Order: sequence, then structure tokens, then C-alpha cells
Amino acid sequence: MLALTLLCAVFAGTVQAQSADDDLRARLNALASGGFDETQRQIDAIAATGDPRAAPALEALSEGDLYFRQSDTAVFIVRKEGSGYRLQDPLTLEDTGTAGRREVKKIRVNNRLRRAIRTALGTLTLRAPDPAARIEAADAIFKAQDVDSIEPLDAALAAETDTDVARHMREARAAAVLASDRPTQDKLEAIATIAARGDRDARSLLTGISNGPDTALHEAANAAIAKVERVQGLWDTARNIWFGLSLGSVLLLAAIGLAITFGVMGVINMAHGEMVMLGAYTTFVVQSLFRTAAPEYFDYSLIVALPAAFLVAGLVGIAIERGIIRFLHDRPLETLLATWGVSLILQQSVRTIFGPTNQEVGNPSFMSGAFEIGQLTITYNRLWIVVFALVVFTVLLVAMKATRFGLYVRAVTQNRRMSASMGIRTPLVDALTFGLGSGIAGIAGVALSQIDNVSPNLGQSYIIDSFMVVVFGGVGNLWGTLLGAFTLGIANKFLEPVAGAVLAKILVLVFIILFIQKRPRGLFALKGRAVDA
Amino acid sequence: MTLRFLSGGLTGGRIVMLALLVAAAILVPVLNLALPESHPLHVPTYAVTLMGKYLTYALLALALDLVWGYCGILSLGHAAFFALGGYAMGMYLMRQIGTRGVYGDPVLPDFMVFLNWQELPWYWYGFDAFPFAMLIALAAPGLLAFIFGWFAFRSRVTGVYLSIITQAMTYALLLAFFRNDMGFGGNNGLTDFKDILGFDIQSDATRAGLFAASALALAGGLVIAVAITASKLGKVLIAVRDAESRTRFLGYRVEHYKLFVWTVSAMMAGLAGALYVPQVGIINPGEFAPANSIEAVIWVAVGGRGTLVGPIIGAVLVNFAKSWFTAALPEFWLFALGGLFVFVTLFLPKGIVGLAKSAVQRLRRMREPQTPGRETKTPREMAAARPSEQAAE
Amino acid sequence: MTVKHTKSLSGLALAAMLASTAFTGVQAQEETIKVGILHSLSGTMAISETTLKDAMLMLIEEQNKKGGLLGKKLEAVVVDPASDWPLFAEKARELIEVNGVSAVFGCWTSVSRKSVLPVFEELNSLLFYPVQYEGEESQRNVFYTGAAPNQQAIPAVDYLMNEEGVERWVLAGTDYVYPRTTNKILEAYLKSKGVADEDIMINYTPFGHSDWQTIVSDIKTFGSAGKKTAVVSTINGDANVPFYKELGNAGIKAEDIPVVAFSVGEEELAGLDTGPLVGHLAAWNYFQSVDTEVNAEFIDAWHAYIGDDTRVTNDPMEAHFIGFNMWVKAVEKAGTTDPDAVIDSIIGVTVPNLTGGYSAMMPNHHITKPVLIGEIQDDGQFETVWETSGLVVGDAWSDYLEGSKDLIADWRAPMSCGNFNTATGKCGGSGS
Repeated sequence: MLALTLLCAVFAGTVQAQSADDDLRARLNALASGGFDETQRQIDAIAATGDPRAAPALEALSEGDLYFRQSDTAVFIVRKEGSGYRLQDPLTLEDTGTAGRREVKKIRVNNRLRRAIRTALGTLTLRAPDPAARIEAADAIFKAQDVDSIEPLDAALAAETDTDVARHMREARAAAVLASDRPTQDKLEAIATIAARGDRDARSLLTGISNGPDTALHEAANAAIAKVERVQGLWDTARNIWFGLSLGSVLLLAAIGLAITFGVMGVINMAHGEMVMLGAYTTFVVQSLFRTAAPEYFDYSLIVALPAAFLVAGLVGIAIERGIIRFLHDRPLETLLATWGVSLILQQSVRTIFGPTNQEVGNPSFMSGAFEIGQLTITYNRLWIVVFALVVFTVLLVAMKATRFGLYVRAVTQNRRMSASMGIRTPLVDALTFGLGSGIAGIAGVALSQIDNVSPNLGQSYIIDSFMVVVFGGVGNLWGTLLGAFTLGIANKFLEPVAGAVLAKILVLVFIILFIQKRPRGLFALKGRAVDA
Repeated sequence: MTLRFLSGGLTGGRIVMLALLVAAAILVPVLNLALPESHPLHVPTYAVTLMGKYLTYALLALALDLVWGYCGILSLGHAAFFALGGYAMGMYLMRQIGTRGVYGDPVLPDFMVFLNWQELPWYWYGFDAFPFAMLIALAAPGLLAFIFGWFAFRSRVTGVYLSIITQAMTYALLLAFFRNDMGFGGNNGLTDFKDILGFDIQSDATRAGLFAASALALAGGLVIAVAITASKLGKVLIAVRDAESRTRFLGYRVEHYKLFVWTVSAMMAGLAGALYVPQVGIINPGEFAPANSIEAVIWVAVGGRGTLVGPIIGAVLVNFAKSWFTAALPEFWLFALGGLFVFVTLFLPKGIVGLAKSAVQRLRRMREPQTPGRETKTPREMAAARPSEQAAE
Repeated sequence: MTVKHTKSLSGLALAAMLASTAFTGVQAQEETIKVGILHSLSGTMAISETTLKDAMLMLIEEQNKKGGLLGKKLEAVVVDPASDWPLFAEKARELIEVNGVSAVFGCWTSVSRKSVLPVFEELNSLLFYPVQYEGEESQRNVFYTGAAPNQQAIPAVDYLMNEEGVERWVLAGTDYVYPRTTNKILEAYLKSKGVADEDIMINYTPFGHSDWQTIVSDIKTFGSAGKKTAVVSTINGDANVPFYKELGNAGIKAEDIPVVAFSVGEEELAGLDTGPLVGHLAAWNYFQSVDTEVNAEFIDAWHAYIGDDTRVTNDPMEAHFIGFNMWVKAVEKAGTTDPDAVIDSIIGVTVPNLTGGYSAMMPNHHITKPVLIGEIQDDGQFETVWETSGLVVGDAWSDYLEGSKDLIADWRAPMSCGNFNTATGKCGGSGS
């Protein structure tokens, strides 16, 4: 196989293009026959040709877009079109017409084959013009530890000008060397190269050889692992902090609307979670509209969903305030009962309208995937949610502290009668405040729909945590809510690796109970007579 | 002494309720057991068990009313005490299964065999004895309430803060009992009970007996509650509810009074739980769910807070409605139930008992035209007539 | 019982009578055979169970179109146990005692089944339970039409071992009895195959767990030990969506660390963008994508019934399809709906399943099923990558657990025992 690769590499240019074309086409067509084992043999054979023209076909195979025609087992890359398929030649990529559903059949792949394809593509695309593609190719070889790729890698390295790509290639080569039967000296060098990566993949590779028969290698590998693990200890702490911030921002988003309706207005708003749920469902509806009307702008759906969710949840909130809560200003505890009833009604309404099952809310492309800082994998959706939570918090803070509306809100909640005598229209302020809190809960729902279920039960799963955050932070204080959310989030994430998810949560709850004994009015207690009400 | 307190507290409605409970404790089992099924007065076993369950809920509501209605402590965690009592009973019933479990182990309950536990954990010792289990059913919730209250009341945690940490307590217990490693059967809880005190738990006679026990326990709970609230201590409790600081300034150790009634209430809830479990046949961590505690608060509110009889009526009515709705309107019953809560809060701020009282007053006024009173009150005015509310919250 | 009599009582007794009269409802004009449907329509489990209620209603409607059963129409009685476990027992009793149903189709979670077991035993009625479960149970009145662990978990692990060469295993589940048992069985099975202790990681999370960052990160770390790693997921319903979202975003590809799930079907995937999840696996006895005539008919009927052709079908629906048809056939065979007669006649009854074969009711009240392993596709469906060559018989008592390896269940006379100990030759478990 090695020899074959070499031969192909050498002769690829000289041998007549026509015969290579036929040969490759024959091999591609052979993919259509047999089970997984047979397909794998064909993939290996195609990889061995080293012909980059096979790459699109292999990619299509991996994606499940490679089909064969039932009549002559000719292979095509297909795209769904109406009830049939549009066919594309696998080599020339020319359009070759359409086929009905029953005329072509998919070539089945499983994980093993996808891995084989990835490795094969790695070898085939080492010389691709795009540096990103070359890095991807090198990484694929790194993961597969493909011994056969050492030679192509050497060739590619010699021609490589981009230092970043070259580093990836060297690491890939080192990984392949470790798996090969090359002399110990080469392998020791390889260990040094890999240890320099210092990440999990490096540890994974090194662990693989740390119990081999060769003692020199053995020791080098163990020393390298120890070094990698020291570095990782630090990264673990960083990771816990990041996870904590991320969880904290989710808690903050869930709680911040409640900090208005409960914290500022004193309504024990059990329907708060349902406002979050309404926001999530609004996102679903907006996305559905985008999917049918303008799929190409799908990425902007969240930007439309935000004001929509604010309006929907806000209006429902105002309706609840006008219809129910305004009659209960003198008996705040009873708002608990009424809003509990409202929450049951809202849940069942959503269940009746949308059905009880989960609804699919997609991540726009800028919220998919992850990037790495050192060894910290940061997923984009979590990052955006942290940013978003902070933005919402800031906007709300400014609205409450620096606008006339905020002034009215604070005045009315501190002394309703005096505010009224000063000419503030208290009923309007009440309705708008409750609408604001609910609207904020609605936009929290937009964010939470990105990481959680969108189901009628969505709200229920956040309501208790939200109350804990607001009470822990101190009712009526937005800063308290911010600090409370992040404290609880980080505490939870540092406990979780030690105690497990369930125990960590129990410990956090016990901590809240004890903390309230110490500070019976939360982290930031309001001062003054209003507190005693 | 007690009699004097009672005579002070036993108003007409309470006497009727006590009489009803005692009558039910005798009549229902008789109608169930002595009459043939074809007889029109026969009470089916299904209804007996269902009502027995309602009565245990009523006892929980009564316990809650004692702290909320008379002492202003809105507990959102009373279901925790209920569930603890239930678990104590469940552990006793588990031990009674003996070799009749699916694995046939004489000592270990099935779930322990299945988790490969070799011996009974220490905290399961003694539960094969009924008196001990009953003691724990009262003592465990009582102790938890005492410790919790000891800290919370001394730290002067009040109002909504107290409500939320009671919720945190029940939620933490929910998660704890949910863990299989705790040795309480995890999410499945304790089930598949066979007999209680040697009687087959599935027989009609046992069910009737449990119903009678529930009715009598509720009657007993009502007597205790009346005795407490009608005593001097009860007056102090009401003072605490209406103006805690003022009571403290008068020299009362507010936290002691609160702690006493809080602990009694928790034990009452524990007893309710212990009676609940053999009738429904299962106890699992779901009973700790914060939603259950909130529902209990709603029963009290529907019936009428601070009336003792009201919560009993509220618990029975709401649960009857729930049983009926879930069968009659399986798809829409949440609308009905949710609507009921909103309706009661808006239009019956004093609950059903309050409505009845004002109806009675109205009748009296109509009979005595020389003292013209206002015919109706708006909800807001009714609330304003109760200054106690605001201070309590 | 008439309203007139209820007036003669007062107070609580009145409530009692009211309860029973209300439940009895208006007497149906025509005599029907009643079938109880006991699935949560509200609360946390509504998300999964409501679909099964609709599937049952559809099956009953179709049977009535075919002329009903024993010359009578079938009548569905739907109640809502509201994801509240004690309420399941209460509602089961109501269905049997008050409504007089001939059989009940229902329950999803293990705890709901455990809660109703004593009721079915006491009142001697029939329960058809359609969900894959932990085994370790065989009850005279219950028919388990979902998969036992040997019909799902073990073939899936075999597949990963043989086809993907997996050597290191993460067993992640929600902390309740089904994952606990499945993981115990798998742990014993893996060890019997020579997998070392340090190559197995077991992790439990609470219901509805939504923050998976730490666990996904742990899985990644565990998978970087130089051996091919796979995750066996028994994570329950709701928690799967955030789990898969985190997995997809953290860049764990199926080629690197495949996840095989036992509780993730088409319905759960409906809430997800499956693009990043292509290649992750699930083991079931049925996939909507199975290409058979009978399945196509079933899907069309379902779409027509529910009025929405984007709704998916899933494994527990097939289990109800099989269970319902078995019951119908057994009742026809016995000529009566009497539970004792049906319990006797149903054993050995064979009906078509949706995957092109036949399923039979075995003496241990479990059924025979094929096992399919499917990979998630980007359209939210599964593609079968492997299936057992024949049917697998559901095993009530696992051979891999200490306490139950000697136990068998056989409800035919003369044994008639759900936990017969082959070592001691006695009915009644493994104890002394």
C-alpha cells in the first residue's frame, strides 16, 4: 500500500490522464457494491491513488450524498430536488440531469467509514490551496495516526510555507511516527513534538504508548504526560470558571425578569417561567416563518425574535397585570396563588396550540460550533449567551437608574400613595413595569431556546432557580441578582466535578439556606422602611 | 384547661366539622363493608380510598393553616414534612414485605438487592416495628422543622425570604431522596407494599380502617389546632402574625412561639404523610416537589386562611375537582384548575369559609333591618379590612 | 347509584357519592368494550406520552372500522395521570373499578409502572406497557411490549465493540432505575468481555438536567486516553436536547466519540437540529425509516389521523401497535375479554410488527423483537446500520446480574410464576 501510494504520487503526473480518470471512476463506481467492509476497502484504494479529484466524491459519501443508479451502478453526487434528485458527476462535478426517488439508492456509511473517509481525505487534501483545508487534513491524519501518510506529509512539509500549517503537519507526522515501526530515536523526537501541544489529544496519544515494551519511550512518554497534566490542572480551573460564568449567565437571564416583577414590584410571580417559555416559543414561530419565507436569512431570525419575544411576553404580562394583579396590590402573597393559576393556564395553552412535544429551534451559524483558547473549548452559543446576559443587565440597569420611567417605577414601588399625589399615573407605571419584567423574561426565553428544550415544561425548570437567585442576591436589587447568579453558577460548577451534578445542586441549596440565616435579606439588602412591608 | 380552650375555640362550624369527621369515620366503613355492592348506599372501595387520601391532604392543609393562618409563616415546603412522614411509614411497610419481594430476600428490600447492597443501612434499623416507625414519622419532620426553625426564626428570616428558603429546603430534599445512593429507593421510591400491622393492605377492611384512621387523625388535628389557637399562646401567635416587631417589643420571645407552632405543624404534616402512603401505595421523591407545597397553600387559600375548617374544605374540594377534571376533561383540566385559582384569589379573598360567613352575616342583616350595613364589598375593601395581611407578609 | 340516594347522605359521604356518580358518568347507550388509556397528558412526561395516547386512539378507531371486537365497538377511556406517580395508581383503579375497562394501555416511566402494579394485581386486570425498561420484573397482569435490556442494550454494545472497535466506555444516565439497571447489566457484560474497571466511567445526572458543560468536558477528557471511546446514554427524555446541543457545539463528532442512546427516538430528535449529530447511534426495535409495506401504511394512517405529516413515529408507538393487536387477537381467541382467559390465550399469540416480521408473546409476558441499530441522519431520522438476523426474545431477568441470573418467568400452568428460581426450584425469588 505504501509502495502503491508512492508509485501513484510519482506517476500521477506522467501517466496519461485518460487512463487515470477511467481507473478512478471505476473505483468510485465500485463503492456502490457490497457491505461496509467492501466499501472500506474501496475507500482505502481510492486514498491510495492520491488523486485529489476523488475528494468531492468522498466528501459526498461521508455526508450521505453519494448515490448509485440502480440500473448501471454508476455513482453520482446527488442533491434533493422536489421529489427526486439532481445528479452530479462525481469526478467532473458536471450536472448530469435528474433521477426519481426509486431510480437511485444511497450508499450507506457508518461511523467507521466516515473515519476512514476523513483519513483518506486528509491524505488527498494535504496540498489543497486553502490553508484551512490543509490544517484540517493534517489534523485528520493526527487523529487517525495514519502511518501511510508519513511520506505524503514529508513531501507536503517540504513545500509548505505557512508556519501554522507546518506545525500541524509536524504534529500529524509525529503522531503517525508513534504508530509506525520507526526507530526509537524518531519516536522520542515525536514525543517531544506532541508533548509541546500539551492538550487532551496529546495526552491521549501519549497514554497510548506509555505502556509499550520500549522503556526509553515509556519513560519519555510518562514524563511528557506528567507535564501535560500539570498544564491541564490549570486549564481545568479556568474551565470551571468559564462553565460557572456560563451557567451564571443562564441563571441571570432566567432571573432578571423576576428581579423586576418580584424584586421590584413584590409580586410573587409564579408565571415568570411561562414568560420565558413564551419567549422561546416566539423564537420557534419566528424561525418557522424564516424557514418557509426566507431560509437564506435564517441567521437573522434571532434578531427578529428578540423584539417579537419582548412584545409577546410583555403584552401577556401587561394583560396579567391589568386583569389580575392590580386587584392584589394589598395582598402580595396572594399573587402567588393567582399567578400559579395563570402559569397552569399558559402551559396548557401552549400545549394545546403547539402540541406537547419539543419544538426545534435552530442555532444560527454564528452560534454554532466552538473555538479554543489554549485548551479551553468555548462554544459560541455559550459565549453569546454570556455577552447577551450582560447586555440585557446593563440595559435594564440604565433603564431603571437613568430614565424617567425608571424613576417612576422606583417611586411607585417605594411609596405608591405619595407617587400618586405627585402626579405619577401609578396604574400605568404598574402595568408597564410588569410588562417590562415579563418582556425581559421573554427575551431570556430567546436565549435559553438556544441551549435547552423548547417544550411546555421549559418555564417550570427555571422558576425555582430564578427565585433562589433573586432572594440570594437580595430582593429589589439588580446588582444583587447579577452577583447572586454568578456566585451560584460558579459555586455549582466547582462542586460538580467533586460531588457530582445532583449533590452539587443540593449543596448549593443548603448554602443558600445557611446564607439567608446569616443575611436574612440577601446579599444586598434594601435599607429603609419599605423593607418591613 | 384544654376543655376551656376548646370551648372558646369551638365555634359552630368547627363542631359541625368534628361531628362530620367522626360520623364519616364510623359510617363510611360500615357502608362500605356491611352493605352488599348492589345496595344503593354502598360506598365503593375506590371512593373510600380516594376520600381517605383527601382527608390526609386535609390534615396537611390544616397543619399549614396553623402556621400560615395564625402565625403568618407562609411555608412553601410543607410537603417536605408530609413526605418525610410518608417515608417513615413507607420504610415500615417495606420491612413488612419480608420474603414476598421479587428477589425473596428476607431482610433487604428489592431495590437494595438490586443495587447489590449486602446489609441494611443503619438508618433502616427499627423500622420493622410499627411504634418506632410511627415515632419517626412524627419525630423526623418535627426535628427537621425544629432545627430549620431554630435557625431561621432566631435569625429573623421572615416574609418571602422564609418562604423561599422553605422551598429551597424541600427542593434539596427532593434531590437528595432522588439519589439512589441515599438508600430510599431513588426515583421509584418505596412501593409494592403487602400488609400493615398484619392486615392485607389491599383488603377492603384495611382500606376502610385506614380511612377511619385518617378521619379520626384529622379530627384530632382539628382539636389540637383549635386548642392551640384558642389558648393564650394562640393569641400571641396572632399578634406575631399581625405585628411581629410590636409583639417582640412587648417582651414576648417571638421566635419561641413561632418555633413551637412550626414544629407542631410539621409533625401534623408528618402524620398526614404517614396515613397517606398506605392508602396510595407508593411514596417517592415526587412528593417533595415544590409544586406540591404550593398546591397545599392553594388548598388553604381556597378554603379560607386562618379558619381551620376552611383548609379542610379547600383540600377536599380542590382534590375532588382535580380527580374529576383529570377524568372528565383530560386535555383541558389545567385550564379549569388554573382558572379556579385565579377566580378564588380575585373573588373569594377569604376563601369559601369567608364567603359563607359573609353570606350568613348578610342574612342576619336582612333579618335585622335596623342596622343597615353595606351590601357588598369590593375585594380591595375586604382586604383593607384586614390589616393583618400586610404585616404578615 | 342514583343522584337521589346521594342526597340522603351529607358531608364527606356526599362527596364520596358525588365522586363515584361523577366518575360513572352517563351510561353508554350501546354496549361497548372499554379500553383504558393511562398516559400523562400534562406535567413533565406529557412530552412523550401524549403521542402514545393519540396512537392508541388511532388504533382503536381503526379496529372499530374493521368492525370492532367480538361484535362490539371498542370505546377508549382517556384519563390524565398528570405525571404524578401516586395519581397513576388512583387513575388505574378508577379505570378498572369505575369505568370497567377490559385492558389498560399505558405508563411510561418505571415508577409509574411500579405505582400501578399492585392495583392491576389486586383488581386482576391487564396492562400493556409499551416502553423499553429495565427488566427484573414479570407480573401476571402486565405485558411488556417494549424492549428488555437484552433487546436493546447488549446488542448495541456488541455492535460498538465489533464494528467500531470501542474499548473504553462512558455509561451516562439519568439517576433512576432504568439507567441504573441497564448500566449494571452493561458493566457486568463489559467486564465479562475483558474490559478493565478503569475503562468504564459511570455518570448519573438528575431528571431534566440542562447544564451539560462539565459532563461533556469530562467525556472528552475520558475519551483522550488513547483508546477508542463510546458513550452509552440512558439519559432520559427532556435532558437529551441540551445534552446533544452541548455535544454538537463542543465538537464531539460521532467519528471520534460515538454516543449510543436507548431513550432517544424520532420524537426526541424532533426538537433538535441533527446536522452536528449525524452518526450518533440509537438502538431500538423500530425506526420510522424502516422500509416495509406495513410501516408505510402505519405512517400514512398516523399522518392522516393526526392531521400533520411532519409528525414522526417511534418505537413505543410500534410497541402499542403490537400490544394492541396481540390483545385483540387474544380476546378473539378466548372469545371473551375476561382477564384470566386473555392471560391464558395471549401467550403464543403472534402478530405482524412494523419491521416486516412477526412478534410473539412469550410465556414471560415479554415479546420477541428484532434489534436495530441506527445512525442519526441530518433529516432527524435514523438509518439502520445493523440489525439482528433473527428475533430476540425479551428476557425478564438478566443473566448478568447476581440477584436474578437464576430467575425465570413462565406464566403458563403449572408453573405460573414470575420469579421462579431454577437453582432452588421454587417460586419466589432468589432468597432463602
